[in-house]
Formats: sequence, structure tokens, C-alpha cells
Amino acid sequence: MITISGLSKHFGNLVVLKDINFQVRKGECVAIIGPSGTGKSVFLRSIAMLEVPESGSICIKGTDITQKSVDINKIREKMGMVYQGFHLFSHLNVLDNITLAPRKIRKQPKAEAEKKARELLALVGLSEKADCYPHQISGGQQQRIAIARCLAMEPEIMLFDEPTSALDPTMSREVLSIMRKLTRMGLTMIVVTHEMSFAREVADRVVYLDEGGIYEEGTPDEIFDHPRRDKTRTFIRRLNVFNYEIHSTTFDMVTMNAQIEVFCQKYQVKQQKIYHIQLVLEEMLVEILRRCYAVVSPDIAFTIECPSGDGEVSISIQYAGSSFDPFGETTPDEDNLGITLVRNMAKATSHYAEKDLNTLIIKL
Amino acid sequence: MGEYFEAIIHSFYNNLIVGNAYLIVIKGLGITLLISALGLLFGTIFGGVLCFLRMAASKWLKAVAKLVIAVLRGSPVLLLLMILYYVVFANSRIDPVIIAVIAFALNSGAHISEVMRSALEAVDKKQIEAARMLGFSGPKAFVAIALPQAGKIARPVYQSAVINLVQWTSVVGYVTITDLTRTVNNIGARTGEPFFALFLGVLFYLGISYAVYALFSIGSKREGAI
Repeated sequence: MITISGLSKHFGNLVVLKDINFQVRKGECVAIIGPSGTGKSVFLRSIAMLEVPESGSICIKGTDITQKSVDINKIREKMGMVYQGFHLFSHLNVLDNITLAPRKIRKQPKAEAEKKARELLALVGLSEKADCYPHQISGGQQQRIAIARCLAMEPEIMLFDEPTSALDPTMSREVLSIMRKLTRMGLTMIVVTHEMSFAREVADRVVYLDEGGIYEEGTPDEIFDHPRRDKTRTFIRRLNVFNYEIHSTTFDMVTMNAQIEVFCQKYQVKQQKIYHIQLVLEEMLVEILRRCYAVVSPDIAFTIECPSGDGEVSISIQYAGSSFDPFGETTPDEDNLGITLVRNMAKATSHYAEKDLNTLIIKL
Repeated sequence: MGEYFEAIIHSFYNNLIVGNAYLIVIKGLGITLLISALGLLFGTIFGGVLCFLRMAASKWLKAVAKLVIAVLRGSPVLLLLMILYYVVFANSRIDPVIIAVIAFALNSGAHISEVMRSALEAVDKKQIEAARMLGFSGPKAFVAIALPQAGKIARPVYQSAVINLVQWTSVVGYVTITDLTRTVNNIGARTGEPFFALFLGVLFYLGISYAVYALFSIGSKREGAI
């Protein structure tokens, strides 16, 4: 369906994409993931020639669309693009948004175009919004209309450029469920996304873009569970790691706890366990601050690592200063309730000091 | 109270009825409307051309358009009118009304081109791109998306440009044209009641302005929401 070879693109001196080779089969759903600024959007846009590559070829169903002689408008009729910012036609109501292209480009009669549009509205679950203007409906609804607008031209390829990034979780669900429907309809889809769960569950293939190219690609299992290369591994790992740094004795513990809660909830950590994590951190931080940073200002960083599912949560705290192991007292201080509490709660604790850096690992 | 009322009736009679003065006023009003309407028509066309050049890809065309716009916008329309009348067309027998139309077309065109440009620039570029992705060619996307949206954005400013134009036509008396202002001035001089006659003129211009507002609001109602 799509064959890209030797694709390169740069803006001035900045090389965004270099020598990309990539194929998509008919009916396949490919998710493109990667850190920001690695050219995911540029790559997607160049598939529709919205960015003109410096070199390389892009063949859509055997036609090299980088050639000047190709009528790109004809090619684009068979492609749909869904944007992060929806970009519905703001001067037209929902129905007209959907019927505009079929009527003006494919010269469909009004009645036929509207009949088709109403079917599509039913598909995206927005039949009753036909007469609304874009600013009168929610972001999630706008995005579903934007998808319907593309479908009205009966595209064979759908390109999604971070379709849910501007939406809150509920609205993202709405849009993602529509996108799932589309994969079942056999559309060829390329989705640039930050929704890892979508990439994992829906995509047939996941492409990790980094260093201006396809750094690693494979099935969702391969990429998410067994990434082979370093950067992919770091990227995937960072998805379920929470980082926090403390440089003041009066840091905002309330905000910190709130962030931890949000993070843990994302990985379905049980509420009881979240309390434990927060309690452990509070006790340990207070202890470390009291013992190591009574005079100097603190330099502490900690990470919480959540495996997906109900696995072992690992907390690692790093703090600068001379070696101090909170659990290392030879005669346990039974009066120090905090330490005793943590000791009883943790499955395992370990401490090591290297030069002037302590690392404390607590498994829960 | 009755006395004042009688005085007003008297002035009205004196200024508008005696010697069929109302016919002259209607004629003056006609001239004002003619110059305004033609000035606006050609001004809008000229503004469109200027706007196109101003947004053109070519550096040279852009620079020329910029210069023309700056000169026309930066100088009083009366001076432009006088230059056209006393210098450019001094030895020709062109009707001064036509000269006035040219002057106002040039002046309002420069203003309107900037109104158009800022409106076009305010249109969401991504919506145009979205249209291109649906298979619209560049010009088709411009007509279907950019133009109607820019029209809506430009409307309030365009409306005040129109009213400005109408009011500025009151200077055409300088080049021997008997428009509404000139007419009411003449009547005031003849009857010795300048206040009444000039005030009447104000009412006429006010009436035109409201007519323009009314026209625009009908247009905006028909087109519906934003």
C-alpha cells in the first residue's frame, strides 16, 4: 500500500529525517511512537506530501507521489488526515463539514452526500449534533467529526497526528474507540501517538522513531515487552517511572504526593499500595533530611518504578553526602517509629554508597 | 412650545420646499451615494488586487504593493483628489465625479487591502490544510474555506471603512462637485439659516450610516453563526 524508500527531510541545517525505508501493507495499523522532536509528525505529514522531502520516494499504491507530474489532490482524496487540533471548518456546521468535500470534489448530489454524512455521524455516535457548529461541541466530539469528515471521502489510508493529545482522558477514550472501529473496517492506518495502551492493543506494528530514523520496529509485544535497543528500552522504561527531585527542606510534599497518586493510578496500583508508597517516602525523606541535611541544603532524587499490572513497586532514593544507611543501625532504635514502620512494610531494602552518593532501594 | 414648533416648520419650509429645494437635496444625495458606491466597488476590486500583490510570493511585487499602500493610506484623500483634479487630469474634460470616484477608489482600496490581508492572515491555516487533505486544490480551498471565513472576520472593519468612505466624500465640493454637503451648505447660505441646513445634512449622513449598518446586519444574520 505504502512504500517509502530513502526518505530524507531537513529544515535548514537541522536534519529531521534521514534515509527512511518503510512499508505499510493494506489494512495494517501502524503506531509511530518516540520522544518529542524526533520528526514523527514530519514523517507522517510527508506521507501526504504536506512536507516535501528532499530526497527519497513515497509510493502509494504504486504511484510515486514525490514526482511533480502526479496530481497530489487526487492522491489526497484517498487519504484522510486527523489532526491534534481537529481543525474543523469553523464557518460550517457539522453536517456541512462532512458533506463539503464529497459535494465540491466528488460532485455528489446534496441529498446523497447528506445521507452518507448521517450514516457517518451515526458511526461516530453524533447523529444529534448534525446542526451544531464546531465551537458548540466538545473537543472529543470535534475529533470524531473530523474523523467522519475524512471518512466521507472513502479514504483507503488514514493518517492520525496525535489525535488525542489535546483531549482529556474521557474524550480520548471516545476517539480511541472510534479508531478501533476503523481498524476493524480494514482501513490502512498510521497513527502518531502518545497513547501507549492504544499502540499496544490496537496496532499491528509499532515503530519507534529516534535519531532521525526508524530506530526500532516490531510487534507491540516486541517493542513494549522486549525492546532490543538502548534508546527504545529507555523510552519504554521511562513510561512507567516517576522522577522527583528535592532541593529544599521546604519542598511541596502535598503536590508531590498528588503527583505520585496520579502516576500510580495510571498503572492500576491499588489505592492501599499507593498509601504505602507515600508513607514510605514521607518517612524516608524526613529521616534523610534530618540526618544528612541538617546544615547543608538537600540534594535528593527519587524514582518510583511501576510494572504494569499488580507487580512489585520499586522505590529508589539517591542522596548526596557521606554514607548513611537508615536501616543500618546495629542496634535498631525501636523508638524511631518511622523506620520501624518502613522496615515492616517493605519486602526488601538495600543500601549502598559510592563516593558521595547514597542509593537506597525499597521494594514494596 | 408652539412657537418653537412653528419656527421649525417655517425653517423646514424655507429650506426644503421653497423653489423645490428638496429636489436639489435629493440630487446632491444621489451624487454622494454614487461616488460612495462606485468608490467602494472599484476600491474593493483595487483592494483585492493590492492585497493579492501584497501577499504575493515575489519580493518585488510585495515591495511595490507595500509602497503603494503606504502612500495611499498615509496621505489625506482630499489632497489625492486635488492632485488628480488640478494636476493629473487638469487638461482633460473628464467629469469631476469620475475623478472623485478614482480618488476614493484608490484611497479606500488601500485601506480595504489591509483589512483583507489581516482577515486572510487570521484564518486558521490548518483548516485550509485539512481541506487540501480532502482533495481540494489550493484555489478551491481558498474559495471554500479561506474566503468565507476571512469575510466574516473582515466584516466589522470593512463596515467602518464603508462609513468612513461615505463621510469622506463630503470633501468633493473642493473640486466643483455638488454633493450632499455642498448642497446643504448652499441652501444654508441662501436662506441665512446655516444651522438648520447643515444639521439637516448631518441627519442625512446619519441616515446613510444606519442604512449601511442595516445592510451589514442583514448579511450577517443570513450567514448564521461564526
